[in-house]
Amino acid sequence: MADGITWGYALNQWNVRLNVFVRREHHERAMKTLSALGFRTIELEAGSGRWDNLGRPELIERGHGSFAGFRAFLSSCGIDRVSSMFWDPGRPGEEEGWAFRLTTDPADHDAIVAAAQPFIDFLPQLGGSVLVARPTPSAWMTGPLGADGIGVVAALWNRLGARAREGGVRLALHLDCLGAIHTREDIEALLAATDPELVGLAIDTAELTIAGIDPAELYRAHPDRVRHVHLKDTRFADTGEEHLQPGAETAMLHGGDGRRIERWFFELGVEGGLVDVPGFVAALRDGGYRGAVIVESDHGPNPADLAMINSWYLQRRLGVVLR
Amino acid sequence: MTWQKWSYMDHWVLDTPQGGQNPYFNRSTLERYVRQLSALGFRSFDTFFFYLPLAAQLFGSIRAFEEFLQENGFDKITGIFSAYPNATRFTAPHVRETHDRIVADCEGIVRMAEGLTGVENLIVMPTNSYLDVEPVTDDTIKITAELWNRVGEMSIAHGMKLTCHFEFWGAIRTPRELDLFFEHTDPRYVHYFCDTAQHTIAGVDPLETFLRYRERCTGFHFKDTRTVDRDEAYRTPPDPELMAESTHRWFYEMGRPGGLVDFPALMRAIVDSGWDGWLTVEHDQAEMDGNNYAEATSVAKWYIDNVLAEVR
Repeated sequence: MADGITWGYALNQWNVRLNVFVRREHHERAMKTLSALGFRTIELEAGSGRWDNLGRPELIERGHGSFAGFRAFLSSCGIDRVSSMFWDPGRPGEEEGWAFRLTTDPADHDAIVAAAQPFIDFLPQLGGSVLVARPTPSAWMTGPLGADGIGVVAALWNRLGARAREGGVRLALHLDCLGAIHTREDIEALLAATDPELVGLAIDTAELTIAGIDPAELYRAHPDRVRHVHLKDTRFADTGEEHLQPGAETAMLHGGDGRRIERWFFELGVEGGLVDVPGFVAALRDGGYRGAVIVESDHGPNPADLAMINSWYLQRRLGVVLR
Repeated sequence: MTWQKWSYMDHWVLDTPQGGQNPYFNRSTLERYVRQLSALGFRSFDTFFFYLPLAAQLFGSIRAFEEFLQENGFDKITGIFSAYPNATRFTAPHVRETHDRIVADCEGIVRMAEGLTGVENLIVMPTNSYLDVEPVTDDTIKITAELWNRVGEMSIAHGMKLTCHFEFWGAIRTPRELDLFFEHTDPRYVHYFCDTAQHTIAGVDPLETFLRYRERCTGFHFKDTRTVDRDEAYRTPPDPELMAESTHRWFYEMGRPGGLVDFPALMRAIVDSGWDGWLTVEHDQAEMDGNNYAEATSVAKWYIDNVLAEVR
């Protein structure tokens, strides 16, 4: 079906532990897997250190000699481009002195804007155009942001959106099921406080569904603000309180506490999936969405196994011509 | 014109809550497996004879299973594989007294395929293991040929070609033994199936062998190896593929560094010869060394789409 969607796949699921996705041959096999399944566009995730050697531009450059060298490597695996990079400015990294920065703290804003620059410079050289950023820390860390708090983070993202635009990159804020921007009202407030020319949204279908937000409704309400999509399913929704547990990243998402749900994110078409994937993609098509839809299988088991299922679903259930 | 007729021979292991299992573990796992192959663009399906009753149990009938394949972009089931790795008093191709039983077994298999779109090949290992047959003599090969002439005459009457697949550890493994076997089998009834890795391990060039028996060739298993057996590993009991001291893993998917099979050259020979059958990708042992079938199959298909597709 002809539409403005570029279908891609995130590599984050391959890099599930500290040192399991480092060797060139492992990168090559992951990319060939995706290429054979019809995904010729990929998304990278920002990381830190020698074992995240696809997670920072300078590490990519060192590993491949240059960005052109990396692009040639991708091409040799049947990958056309890197559409986007996911970046959480609150995740400490050794390249930033392990600084623990908060987007909710104005004192950190200069450093966060500076830290984004390497990614902004990197993306266009790999054919990419979207920096996908986590807008806030987790809700259990911040408590309710309120209008003032949302205003603080909005000021940061307006600055960073302007910097990204100067670099030929669009900024998309990725709302997740743990974040402090957590309700439909929070989202409206964030959008109202940010410049539509500079700041957009990344819709993650599973993350929003877990948080109790209908991703299709959100897209239909703000088609002009949606710049990026992560497509995956879930079988569970937060009870409304689980994301507020201290250490929800582990307590909730790793199944260590509460209902002990050990896996939250699932492949497309999973039995019992809560995301109306056909309905959401139809909404994108109806709304004239033009951009990348990145399929994700993060927090799942065997990445190649899940990528095959996701490719099948797109081809056979949604009529996407991938191959 | 890029080659379109790619089939897949199943050895998969899927992760289930009960550990790694074959795809026929339940209906859900089998559906998942078929969909995964479909996503890569495979158009035909090869399997073992002993899986067909399981598929029938899960889908109601083998035909219903084939319909599920067809709903997912497959043309049909292409080949059914059968083997007698161990010599027993019931089944030993080099022992005439067991031939009636083997013919009856094979007839049971071809009857299972009745009503399907058109299974092309009954693929057999023509001998027991070398160790179970030795001393391998001209007589053991000639008696084996008698058996497969009978089976081939039976199977062609049911619309399927009997085709012989030679393991590196089988009792027909050298060029001389292959020649002797094919001299004593009827070209109308007994055909040749080329497994690229098995031949290579045995020190036999699969390309030359294909060209030698091209008129009798009805299919291929495309897989790679890094090892030629120079230590008589083929005589290792009870299973040289698993137990050889010198080599813990014999088989790899296409496109791995260090592979000995020259697939582009073979592909060129196939195209140039005008041969027009199904090319089957097969993976044995893909789960070894922390690897998995899903990735191995995807990478092999990448090799097909990006390297072999250039051979026209």
